[in-house]
Amino acid sequence: MTMESLFATIYSLLDTALPFAWAASLFMKRAFLEIMLITPLCAIVGIQVVNYRMAFFSDAISHSAFAGIALGLLLNINPLLTMVVFGVMVALGIAKFKTRSDLPMDTIIGVFFAATIALGIAIISTRKGLSQTLSPFLFGDVLTIAEMEIAVTFALFAVVLIFIALSYNRLLLTGINEPLARSQDIPVKIYNYIFAIILAVVVTVGIRTIGMLLITALLIVPPASARNVSRNVRQMFWYSLVFAWVSGISGLVISFYTDMATGASIILTASLCFLLTFIISLVRR
Amino acid sequence: MSLLKNVSAGIPKGKITALIGPNGAGKTTLILAILGVIPHEGEIFFLRDGRQETTRPRIGYVPQRLDFDRGLPLTVLDFLTLSSQRRPLWLGYQQAKRDKALEALREIGVEHLCERQIGRLSGGELQRVMLAMAISRDPEILLLDEPAAGVDVSGEVLFCEFMTRVQREGHLTMVIVSHDLSIVTGHAEHVICLNRTVQCQGGAPEVLTPENIMAVYGPHAGLYRHGQDIRPGASTTCIHPLHHK
Repeated sequence: MTMESLFATIYSLLDTALPFAWAASLFMKRAFLEIMLITPLCAIVGIQVVNYRMAFFSDAISHSAFAGIALGLLLNINPLLTMVVFGVMVALGIAKFKTRSDLPMDTIIGVFFAATIALGIAIISTRKGLSQTLSPFLFGDVLTIAEMEIAVTFALFAVVLIFIALSYNRLLLTGINEPLARSQDIPVKIYNYIFAIILAVVVTVGIRTIGMLLITALLIVPPASARNVSRNVRQMFWYSLVFAWVSGISGLVISFYTDMATGASIILTASLCFLLTFIISLVRR
Repeated sequence: MSLLKNVSAGIPKGKITALIGPNGAGKTTLILAILGVIPHEGEIFFLRDGRQETTRPRIGYVPQRLDFDRGLPLTVLDFLTLSSQRRPLWLGYQQAKRDKALEALREIGVEHLCERQIGRLSGGELQRVMLAMAISRDPEILLLDEPAAGVDVSGEVLFCEFMTRVQREGHLTMVIVSHDLSIVTGHAEHVICLNRTVQCQGGAPEVLTPENIMAVYGPHAGLYRHGQDIRPGASTTCIHPLHHK
C-alpha cells in the first residue's frame, strides 16, 4: 500500500468517525491526525521533563530552532531537517558541558540559549528576505502540515513509545535520586544522553504544530495538570495523555471557529485544564 | 581535590561493619565509591571464596538523605517496584514484584504505608521505606548511610531488631555509617575508623577502645549513655530506650 492510498483510507475513516463541519476539509483532517500524535508524544516525554526539572532545557532547544532554521535557509538545506539536527547538537552540547563544568545547570543552558538565538538573529539580519519564512515556526502552523510530516511524527511516536515503555521505571527512579538509581546498576549517563536526544527531536518536530515559543508548554502543562490530581504513577501517566489529547483536539476545534492560531488555542486550553485541576487539588487537600 | 587518601581496608563477608569518623571524614564518599557512583583511583575488589568476583554483587543502598521532588505522585509500593519491575508502572504491577515489595515492607514493619505517597512520609518512615527497598533487591551487600538519622523511637527498636536478625542469619555483608555509638557498639562486629584516611580497623572490641572513640567522636563521647552500658558486647537485646529514663 502506498502512503497516498493509506492516507486516503484514513481520511475516509475520519469522515465516518467525525461527521462535523470542522473536520470536513482535508487540511483539518491532517491537522487532527498530527495533533492526535504530537500531543500524547509531548505528554509522555513531558512527564520526565517535569520529573527531571528540564523545562528550561527544553526551552533552550526549542529556541535553538531559530538558528537551525536560519542555517538551513542559508545553506539551502530543508530547514525542517537542519532544525532537528541543530536541536540535537545543542542538547548534546549542554549535556556534555554539564559533566565538565561546575557551573549551575541553568547558567550553562542560559549561555547556550543566548548563543543560539544570537546566531539565528545574526544570520537572518544579513538576509532581509528570510524573516518572512520564520513566522510559521515561531507560532506554529499545523493547518499546513504535509502527509510526509505526519508520517515522520508517527514513526517518532512509535520509537519514543517503545523507549519509554522499556525504560519508564528506570527514568523515573533516576529523576528521583541519581545515586540511588546508580546503586541499582541503572546506566544513568546513557539514559540521560538518550533522553536528551529524544527530547530534542520531539521538541523540534513539535515546533511545526505549536511553534517554538509554546512547544515547552505542551510538554509540561498536561503532566503538571496530571500531577495536580494523581495519587500514583499510573494515574500521572494516563491523566497526562488524556489532558494532552483533550487540550489538543479542543484547541484545534476552537481555532477553527475563532481563527485563532492553533498552537495558542491548544496551550490556552491546556492552561485552563491546569487551573481546573489545581482548584480540584486545593479542594481535596 | 581528593577527599580520601590511602584507603586500604577489608570488609568481612557476612558481617556487620561500622564505618565511623567525625563529620567530613569521607564516610559517605567511601560508601559512594563502593557503589561505583564517584570516580576514584585504586581498586575495590569483591571476593567470593577468596577469588575476585567477575560481576559486581547486588548492592542495596540506603542514602543518608533522599533529596527528591516531594510533590511527585508516587506511592510507597510504586517506589519499591520502580527498581525491580521492568514493565512500565503505567501498565500496572507484576504480581510477583508486588508480592516481593510487600514482603520487604512487612519485614521492616511498614506494610501499612504501601499506599501512602513517599513525599508525605516522615523522615523516619522514609528511612524505613528505603531500607525495605534496599532489602527487596535481595542484596548480597547492604550499605547504610546514617540509617538511624531522623528515626523515631519505635523506628529505632524496629531497626535494632532488623540488625539483630541480619546478624543472626549472617548472609548479608553490611556496612553501616553511624554517629550513634549505641548502634555501633551494639551490632558492629568489625569497625573501620575513617578521617580522610583509615585510622584504625579491626574487630569491634579491639578497635572500640576509649582512646579511639575519643579520637573519632571527640572528648564528649562516652561509653555510657542514658545510664545504659554501651560498651562493645554489652547490649544484645533491643530495649525501648524510654524504658531507661
